[in-house]
Order: sequence, then structure tokens, then C-alpha cells
Amino acid sequence: MVDFVLAFSRILAVFSRLVLWMAGAGLVAMTVFIGMQVWGRFVLNDTPTWTETSSILLMGWVIFLGAAVGIREGNHLSFDVLLYVLPRPVVKICHSISDLVVIAFGTGMIGYGLQLAATTWATTIPNLGITGATSFFSLIFGGVLMVLFSLERLLRRVVGLHTPRFGDDVIEE
Amino acid sequence: MELVVLFGTFTGLLLIGAPVAFCLGVSSFATIAFLGLPPVVVFQRLNSGISVFALLAIPFFIYAGELMVRGDIARRLVALAGAAVGHLRGGLGQVNITASVMFGGISGSAAADASAIGGLMIPQMAERGYGRDYAVNITVVSSIIALMLPPSHNLIIYSIAAGGRMSIADLFTAGIIPGLLLAVALMIVAWFVAKKRGYSTEPFPGARAVFGLLVGALPGLILVAIMFGGVRSGVFTASESSGIAVIYAIAVTILVYRSLPWNEFVAATLSAVRTSSMVLLVIGSAAAFGWLLAYLRVPAELVQWMKGVSQNPLVILLMLNIILLLLGTFMDMSPLIVITTPIFLPVALAYGIDPVQFGIILILNLGIGLCTPPVGAVLFVGCAVGKIRISEAIKTIWPFYFAAIFVLMMVTYIPSLSLWLPSVFK
Amino acid sequence: ATACDITLKSSDTHPEGYPTVAAVQYMGELLEERSNGRICVEVFHSAQLGEEKDTIEQTQLGVIDLNRVSLGPFNNIIEETKVFSLPYIFRGTDHMHKVVDGEVGESILNEFSNHGLVGLAYYDGGSRSFYNSKKPITSIEDVEGLKFRVMQSDVFVDMVSALGGNATPLPYGEVYSSIQTGVIDGAENNWPSFESSGHYEVAGYYTLDQHLIVPEVLVMSKKSWDGLAPDDQELIRDAAKDSVPVMRELWAAREKASEEKVRAAGVEIVEDVDKTPFINAMDPVYEKHVKSDKLKDLVQKIRAVE
Ligand code: NA
Ligand code: NA
Repeated sequence: MVDFVLAFSRILAVFSRLVLWMAGAGLVAMTVFIGMQVWGRFVLNDTPTWTETSSILLMGWVIFLGAAVGIREGNHLSFDVLLYVLPRPVVKICHSISDLVVIAFGTGMIGYGLQLAATTWATTIPNLGITGATSFFSLIFGGVLMVLFSLERLLRRVVGLHTPRFGDDVIEE
Repeated sequence: MELVVLFGTFTGLLLIGAPVAFCLGVSSFATIAFLGLPPVVVFQRLNSGISVFALLAIPFFIYAGELMVRGDIARRLVALAGAAVGHLRGGLGQVNITASVMFGGISGSAAADASAIGGLMIPQMAERGYGRDYAVNITVVSSIIALMLPPSHNLIIYSIAAGGRMSIADLFTAGIIPGLLLAVALMIVAWFVAKKRGYSTEPFPGARAVFGLLVGALPGLILVAIMFGGVRSGVFTASESSGIAVIYAIAVTILVYRSLPWNEFVAATLSAVRTSSMVLLVIGSAAAFGWLLAYLRVPAELVQWMKGVSQNPLVILLMLNIILLLLGTFMDMSPLIVITTPIFLPVALAYGIDPVQFGIILILNLGIGLCTPPVGAVLFVGCAVGKIRISEAIKTIWPFYFAAIFVLMMVTYIPSLSLWLPSVFK
Repeated sequence: ATACDITLKSSDTHPEGYPTVAAVQYMGELLEERSNGRICVEVFHSAQLGEEKDTIEQTQLGVIDLNRVSLGPFNNIIEETKVFSLPYIFRGTDHMHKVVDGEVGESILNEFSNHGLVGLAYYDGGSRSFYNSKKPITSIEDVEGLKFRVMQSDVFVDMVSALGGNATPLPYGEVYSSIQTGVIDGAENNWPSFESSGHYEVAGYYTLDQHLIVPEVLVMSKKSWDGLAPDDQELIRDAAKDSVPVMRELWAAREKASEEKVRAAGVEIVEDVDKTPFINAMDPVYEKHVKSDKLKDLVQKIRAVE
């Protein structure tokens, strides 16, 4: 069982690295877009009308991908004060409930994200000409990642492996 | 009853250590389900809450801060501050505060400020015989200055939480005098504490040396000028200025300082993704939470209740400040801005308080919360960098808290401290 | 806060006291009175429940019962509504009133029922004209090269380009400081928004070309609607219709007050601009955006209304 979880973790480690790099590339692209917007308006006197909307769409990807990796690395903002005074077994239960909460919300992001995408499928985003459903893709994909990474945390805890919390080092295996 | 579900679930999840973003999201989900409404609204609010152009400033400013720390801009600013004010009583303490004014003016992030300047200053201060607690206290409290001086992404969050109908340029300008006032107040306290403890001063290296360091730090200082001047002169908008800051920081560190190798650039980018996605997810789920508060008429009821308590705006401001300070000790800044603005701003407006001034009060107040236990991100960072226990830092931090609260009261009761400067630019 | 059996939650992005908000509140008073206190309306003003695009979805879901929205956000949802967002489609406010009160207006209002909504009434959204900080626009040549902020919409971007200007999408909240500092030269809006946003303080020239006269709509959620007795549906429909004249009166008064304030501030108003070259310049815009027979037919019908 431990071996299986470790193998699963290794795959997810590569995967989450990839996701983080994608989000990083998104941040760089956002920077380039804003630069183009200022350049176009100020220097060329011809403002690109697609940069604003595209940057916002990209930001959605940066946020949901980055936040999902944050789940895996355990670095989300949380309130740990009570956990310091509780006995360790209880703390473990709290951590597991918290992982389940993330799984529940991630599932919601997938299901309701799909619903939102379906209802906005026939609409178009002004100045981009693509379907309005596009703005929900990052929400859905982020939900999938959050569920996946939280399952990993639960599995690791069940078999007694270390699961990182805020301030811990990143798991490397 | 709905409110019991909303706040009950939120508090319960918070106490068991669930990430704040999910406490907000899941408690909203539970309440919507309890009301028999379609839960899809929660996810619509989450998605719309982050699809706001002005929010781009948050990842950009965090990214710019990362690049400045890793690419030598921050170190050179601290060196300049050291030469310029090191000879004052409490030498390196004064340097630390001055560096916060210079660096904070660019980064806009208290946590970035505390880790960047703390990382450079605290070891130096400890080596020169200053108490580690003194070094940490100053690092932590002076990082609030970063929140007040332009650009401040927290003021952008406030403007969005307030409905996006407030000029960001005005908010930025309004923070300048309160921010500098805080710096002066902290320098005075640092002076007294240093005198009592008998700390030495640094020798003044001479005008020539200061000038040399000034030239070296100039590209960093120009960044402040570009961002504030760029916004004020019309080259770009407030939100765009943050993107320009990133481009400029990359250009300076690669072309001028030649100090940003590829792996550091990648590290800065990924670190900016980690930090900003965390903050923005909280903002998104707080949008769902805030929607429910409005739907359940919490702000309107609160205004009614407060009107029953007092008709005097000065009393109301004091009450709001106390509530915010209490909330700030338990929670972090950005979620509190998004949660409390829709509730408290209508109260402030109902009493004729200017929304720009209220924004400055809110940011300063919650900024103090960042430095207080049990939940204080900046205090944690400061103690981590300074390698001391939180209890150690807290024992001697009181004079600095006092100075910050004194400035908070000044900003609260003297509207022109925040409103005069924007009116000059109008 | 009310003791009614049915409380209809209504959304509006404008602040308390704005004509649209006041009109829906007036409609609520009518309803309460005519239903003997059974049905009330509670208005969530100032975009408390979200921006228009979001509240439309919430209305479709039945979370919000009533919603006062501009037609702009519907352009990407209901094709027929595009016709009202075409530049210079109406010759003036009276023409617009005749169209929405007549057959065309009725037929478009009926289209909402295919999208989870019930169209109740048209409100006024004023007529939008260009203002800028550089010079009085007295002919189409004056538009050349000026940077105008427009709303995120293909039609509006194409309209400004066709006039020779530089269309610059910007968030509304950044417009004031952007004109003040010269990021952009101007924007376009109606009298009340020009005044209440304070843009008249920084843009000293206003040219009444009235390029857009886009009506607004009051819609109800089909989910909420279907849950009501036919008699109550009738009460709501009537109250909504009866709020229209009151709305138009309030709007006219508001427009006049704003106009007086702007004039008193010394803004130079160009009133008698020859619109013909502006209208002629719109040919490529119509060609690009009025493609389907349905829209072509509607354009003809609107133009035929005297
Ligand atoms: Na700042
Ligand atoms: Na705190």
C-alpha cells in the first residue's frame, strides 16, 4: 500500500511541477499582454482590444492551477492556533476533514463549472469572439487538480506518510 | 438562522485548520443549500470574483517584489538607507524603517517587505549588538508602511470590494501622508527604545559615499517614479502600472545589474504564482461569501443597528476600528478586506465618512492585525527570518504597536491627512 | 424586513435614488397596494448582488426574481436585442419610445421567454454621446485619432474605429483618472452618467451626437414567474407597465438636472452637429453586425416607425 501511494505521489509530483510551470508561463504571458496594451495605446495609438480580456482569462488559469499546487504543497492560508493545543490524533482527524472539505469544494468546481460552461456555451466573449464557456475551463480543471491532490494527501496520511502543512518544505519524492 | 449556518460553518472549518479560501467557499455553499437556492451561484461568484481587470495588479506586484528581492534591487535600497540614516540614534533600526519606506513604496506587500528587508537587516543588526527582538519588532511593524505607500495592491482589493467605483489613483495618493507619518512615528519610538537600551549609532560614511550608493540604487528608485509618475501623467492606468513594474524589474536586473540568472528568474516566477494564487483564491471565494451577506441584508441590518447605538460618526469610527482590530488579530488581511468592506463601508457612508479615508483607515487597521498574534502573517515571517519565538518578539513589541495605533487614531479623526493630497492632484 | 407573503428580490447596478431604482421601488409600492400587502419588492441597488452579466444568470437560475438591466449584456445571449445597440438606429428618444412601445418592442420582449426570463417592461437608458478633453467635436474629422473609452463590445469598438477614433476598452472605474492624465482623450455616455461620474470635471467638450440610445429592460425570472398564480402574474405585469411613465418622468428630470449641473460647470456643449456623415460612416458597421435576415428585417421595421 505504501509503495502504491509513493508511486502515485511520484507521478503527481511530476504532474504538479508541470502545472506550476504552466501557471508561471501564464504569468509571464500576462505581463507581455499588458506591455503590448500600453505599447499599442501609447506608442502606436492603436489599442489592442483583446489584451484586457485575455489577461483576465489567463489570470483564472494562474489562480486555479497555482492554488491547486498550493493544496498539494500545503501552503494555503489557514488558522492553526487551535491545532497547536489539540492532541495529535485529533489534529490528524482535523487535517483529514479539511482535506475532505477541499475535495467537496473541488467536486463542486467541476460539476457546477460544467453547468456554467454549458449555459454560457452559446454566448460569445466580446472582442475575442470565442465562446463564453471558456471563462469556466480553468475553474473546472482547477477543481480536478484540487480533488486529485487532496486524495493524495488523504492517502499519504492513511499509510502514515508525511503530508506538508503551511511552512513545511515541499514534498520531493 | 441562515446567518448561523453561514458563520457557524465558517468558524467551525476555520478552527479545524481548513484553508481560509475553502472555509469561505464551503460555508457559502452550505448556506445556499440551506436556503434551497441553486449552489451554482457560489461558483459563479468565485469565477466572477477573480475575473476583474484591476486584480491583475496583485500577481504583478507580488511578482515585481520577488524579482526585486532576487535581483539585487532590494539590497541596494537597503544599502542606501544604511548610509543615509545609519548615524541616527538606533542606527540600523532607523535604516530598517527608511528601507521600508523605499522598498515598500515599490513592493506594496507587507510580507515581501518583511522578508526582503528583514532578511538583509536582522542578521546585520544582531551582529552589531542590537537585540534580535528589537530587530524583528522594527522589521514587522515598519512593513505596514508598504501597505500605505503607493502602489498598494490591498488598496486595489479595497476599491474592488467597494464596487470598483473609486479612483485607484486617489486611494494611492491618499495613503502617502499616513504612510510617512507612520514611518516618522516608528522612527521616534525606535530612537527612544534604542536610547533606553544604549544602542550605538553607525558612522556617517560621508556625502560622497551616500551619493555613490544613491547612484547604485537609482534604477530601483526610478521604479517608484515610473509607477507613480506613469499613473499620474497618463502613460498607463493604475492596474497597468503593476505590469510595467514587472517588465521594468526584469529589465533592470538583467540589463543593468546583470544579477538575475535563469534559475532565479524561474524561482521568482513560481514563487509569485504560489503566493498570488493563494491570495486570489481567497478573494474569489470571499466574493461568494460577500454575495450571501448582501443577499441576507447583513450590511443594511448592521447600519440600522449602529444607528440605534449612536448618531455620532466619531463614536461609530471608534467602534468600527475596535471591531476591525479584533478581527485583524484573528484573520489575514486580504480576506478581511473583501469580507468587511461590503459590510462596514455602507455604515461609514451612512455617517458621511469619505470612502477614500475609510479605505486608508481599513488598510492601516488590518495592517496592524498582520503584526499581531494569533494570526499575523508578517509577524510569522519576521520571527522566521529573525529566528526568534513569537512570544519573545511580542514581549517588547508594545511601543511599536502603540505608535501604529496612535497613527491609526490620527488618520481616523483627521480626514485631511488622507484627503488633502488627492485633492491637490484633482 | 417585510411581512409580505411574497417578497420579490430585485437587482440594480445603479445607486439608491437613481431613476431605475426608484421606478422599481415605485412598482413595488403599486404591487403592495394592489395585492393588499401580499406581494412586495425589495431592491438590491448599487450592484450588491453583482454586475449585470452575473445577475442575469442569477435571474435565470431563480435566485433573483426581478432584474433591471441594460440591453448590452443581452447582445451575446439574445440576437434580436443587438438591434437596439446599433449606432444611430434611433433618430431620437421619441423615436425609441415609439419603437419599444410598439410591435418591434413587444416582439423582442417576448424573446426573453426562450432564455429563462420574462420581459416585463422597457426603461430609459438615455442617449449616449461623445465627450473629450481635447477639442469640441463639430464634424467627423474632429474624431480622427482621439482615444475613446468604450464598453467591452465589438459593435462599439467598430463604431469608434469607423469614425476614425481609437477605441480603448477600459474598466469604468479607471475612466476618470485616465482622462485626467491623458491615458485616453474621452469616453461616451448619457447626461446623468457624464455628471455623476464626475467625468465632466476632466472632459470639457460634449458633443450631442446621440450615437446610442439603448433602452433598458426590467425582466423577471421565469422560475419565479411560473411559481405564481396567474392573477399575481397579471398584477406584476401591470405594475411593471405602470412604472414606465413614472420612470420616464424621473429620467427626464434627472437628465435635466445633470445637464444644468454640467452646463453650469462650463463644459462646452456642441448641440447642432450634422449627424449625416456620422451615420454614413456606419455602413461597414451595419454590414458586419447586421447579417441575419431577422436583424435586417428588424432594422427596416425600426426605421419605418415614424
Ligand atoms: Na506600497
Ligand atoms: Na493578526
